[in-house]
Amino acid sequence: MRLIPARTLVLYCAWLTMALASAAAFGQSEGTAHHDIVIKNAIVMTVTHGNITNGSIYIKDGKIAAVGETVNAPASATVIDAGGKYLTPGIVDSHSHIALDDDVNEATNPITPQMMMKDAFDYQDKAIYRALAGGVTTSLLLHGSANMIGGQAVVIKHKYGASRDELLFPNAPRSIKFASGENPKRVYGSRDQLPSTRMGNFAVQREALVQAQDYIREWDNYNEKVKRGDKDATPPKHDLKLDALADVLRGKIMVQIHIYRADEMLTEIAMAKEFGYKIRAFHHALEAYKVADQLTANNIAIATFSDWWGYKQEAWDAIPWNATMSTRKGVRVAIKSDSEDYTRRLNQEAAKTMRYGGATEEEALKMITLNPAWIVGVDDRVGSIDVGKDADLVIWDGYPLSTYGVPEKVLIDGDLYFDRSQPGLGTTHYKEGE
Amino acid sequence: MRQPSAMSVQLSAGNSVWRGHCSPRSVILIWILSLSALAFAQDKPILLKGGKLLTVTHGVIENGAIVLYGGKITAVGDASTVRAPAGARVIDVTGMTIYPGLIDSETQLGLTEISAEETSNDLVELSDEIMPHMHTAEAFHAESALIPVARMNGITNAVIAPESADTLPGQDSFIQLAGANATEMLLIRDNAMPLNFTGDQRRNKGGFEKHKFPSTRMGLAAQLRQAFLDAQDYKSKWTDYERKKADAAQNKDKDKDKKPEPLAPKRDLKLEALLPYLEGKKTIVLAAESPSDLETAVSLANEFKLKFVLNHISHSQPVLDYVASLKVPVIVGPIYEAPKEEERYDTVYSLPAQLYERGVKIVFASYSAHNVRNLPDQAGFATAFGLPYDEALKAITINAAEIWGVADQLGSLDVGKTANVVVANGDPLDVKTDVKQVFIAGREVPMTDRQVRLRDEYSK
Repeated sequence: MRLIPARTLVLYCAWLTMALASAAAFGQSEGTAHHDIVIKNAIVMTVTHGNITNGSIYIKDGKIAAVGETVNAPASATVIDAGGKYLTPGIVDSHSHIALDDDVNEATNPITPQMMMKDAFDYQDKAIYRALAGGVTTSLLLHGSANMIGGQAVVIKHKYGASRDELLFPNAPRSIKFASGENPKRVYGSRDQLPSTRMGNFAVQREALVQAQDYIREWDNYNEKVKRGDKDATPPKHDLKLDALADVLRGKIMVQIHIYRADEMLTEIAMAKEFGYKIRAFHHALEAYKVADQLTANNIAIATFSDWWGYKQEAWDAIPWNATMSTRKGVRVAIKSDSEDYTRRLNQEAAKTMRYGGATEEEALKMITLNPAWIVGVDDRVGSIDVGKDADLVIWDGYPLSTYGVPEKVLIDGDLYFDRSQPGLGTTHYKEGE
Repeated sequence: MRQPSAMSVQLSAGNSVWRGHCSPRSVILIWILSLSALAFAQDKPILLKGGKLLTVTHGVIENGAIVLYGGKITAVGDASTVRAPAGARVIDVTGMTIYPGLIDSETQLGLTEISAEETSNDLVELSDEIMPHMHTAEAFHAESALIPVARMNGITNAVIAPESADTLPGQDSFIQLAGANATEMLLIRDNAMPLNFTGDQRRNKGGFEKHKFPSTRMGLAAQLRQAFLDAQDYKSKWTDYERKKADAAQNKDKDKDKKPEPLAPKRDLKLEALLPYLEGKKTIVLAAESPSDLETAVSLANEFKLKFVLNHISHSQPVLDYVASLKVPVIVGPIYEAPKEEERYDTVYSLPAQLYERGVKIVFASYSAHNVRNLPDQAGFATAFGLPYDEALKAITINAAEIWGVADQLGSLDVGKTANVVVANGDPLDVKTDVKQVFIAGREVPMTDRQVRLRDEYSK
């Protein structure tokens, strides 16, 4: 039975999309802890500018206001003594399907870009808490990989115990999940439907994008008529599906593609060029090491596993050196979970890249912080310890890039959400029985 | 329990090809590598000198030396005291950490190649819940590409178990992860048998429209009980037959007591397979997760006086004192098993430590095929939640050897044991540690696998 989780992965791996363009800026207005905080006596792993031994951070209004060996902070600030332990930015998981109550795949049609994962988001799911306890502060919740074009993703912060809207990452860019390979062809092929082959997969995808082009043309014509003062012009019918795809073609939605094989990566790159959109990241991307140069040339990141392999045919050429080999070729690499289990210990997964191929400590840490933040499109706000960024921080008991490092405290927007030393669940906002 | 008979055989297989490669080209490549490796590993003693030895049974030797000769460990000690035998090849392992080969107490190695490809799977028979006559040894695929991947991280021995979909899915095997062929790698066939009672075996569970027995725990328990009762009955028939036969033989010359030759009972493979377990000669691996399933399973086992070890018990935290009172070892976890909804995040992470504190002997298992190489990560992670380091290491070495009846041959760096030895650049329980060389029965395992070859091919 223990093999089953690896198989369920087959259906999960997929995509996501959107992020909540409509979400209001919740983060700063409400909340319990937007007073001044100083964390001192920490080994600060900044990700962008090295480690500061015996460093301090000054947090003001949920943002990092100062970082250094010493910081200027008001005397009234709350002081947290890190006791010489490691401090890192919160982990960003760029491929997750938690907190969706198994509503991961709308597997009734291979093209479902109008699905909004936000609509399935269960902010009380304990998986959010368990990931938080593993140091994860931001996750991209994606649609599954049953469909060639799945739904639009939601970006969350792991503020377990807060209200739903407080968990939504404010103003995160939109992402959409595409898929390829075995999953769509198996799901629809098993029903004697299109697609049942890789040719079918790509034909279905291309067909949808052509429809979106037509749709854009219809709207352009209409808008042109209105502009010319044509009072009789009737607007085309709004189609949620095509609205979403049109936004893909207009570059308003980032494309995140579930993909394994190198040849399919090349086909997806060609397809993106054919229709004029950009691919933000290949997810899983277990054969990225075979075509890393092409990924770099097209500024496509990867969100991959450290060492998973062999669970399906298209994962047969997976190698644990993928992350480091791709990094050396200039690819932006993230290690992601795609799993309720692994999201709890992504630090260990990242540390494996130091073994397999000799990633540096900073490179390994970047794979679970700044690089996934770039994939999600929030690298200007999270993913490193820099002035102006959200105070999403983890104090570690033990060296984080090892088997032994476990989070002691996790702060999001400067507010303490998890504290290992607390009894019960260790949550500071969620109370049992509520 | 039958002791491994293949161990000494391996030592004479000096010209055999080690298995576990895929393409014809790579087979040739590895064959050449193997020959060159075997040429010196087989015939000559090897002295590993200067490393930090984690002996497991007698502490750490900081500047140690160890001799591998004739497939066995023939000397272990401080580098200043251990002498190289005549003709020994001396390997300087200064700065390295040396430890015994790791033992994974439940895997599906050799029973699957690509999980989603059913044709490559020989994991469990689903035609019935009672399948004790299934022998994993008879499906074990020695040439699996997964085996070299696992052994490159220092896993040298493993239990192979069928998947847990059946109450009695069949019998385990105990393997060594290198050898000329399946026969050589299968150190013990039918070494143990899982008895699964986790609720997952209720595959006939459905609505009222689905009427196949058994669909409940009551049904599974009744079915299991009947199987053991049938086996008892079967045994008495055979005992009776043997007695009558002996009786007849004894009286064959006495005309007046002459009886007709008794008829042998019909052989029943299922029931026959249960006999060594009913007789307490072999170990049942009793799997349960929650307290209620655990106590039911234990009472079933006690009803038939089965000798057992426990498996999983990931959600039995409320009854750990009861577990300790059973005085049996536990294959724990995996500790990555998610806690129940209402439980603290580290409830299962800390289970090994909680068991250890109650005096329970624990071992770890990957419960995997592709991820067997990550076995030591689990032991390391358990230390972050309270398990002492030495106990974590024992849980993947000597404790496992003891449970599986091979502690006289495996599980520690001790003179006389099989020379399954790992050389790594650091702490065996840390994910960053790179294994540099693995010795199995004194032979240098070629440090390559399918993944290494792909890496090298695309690094050109």
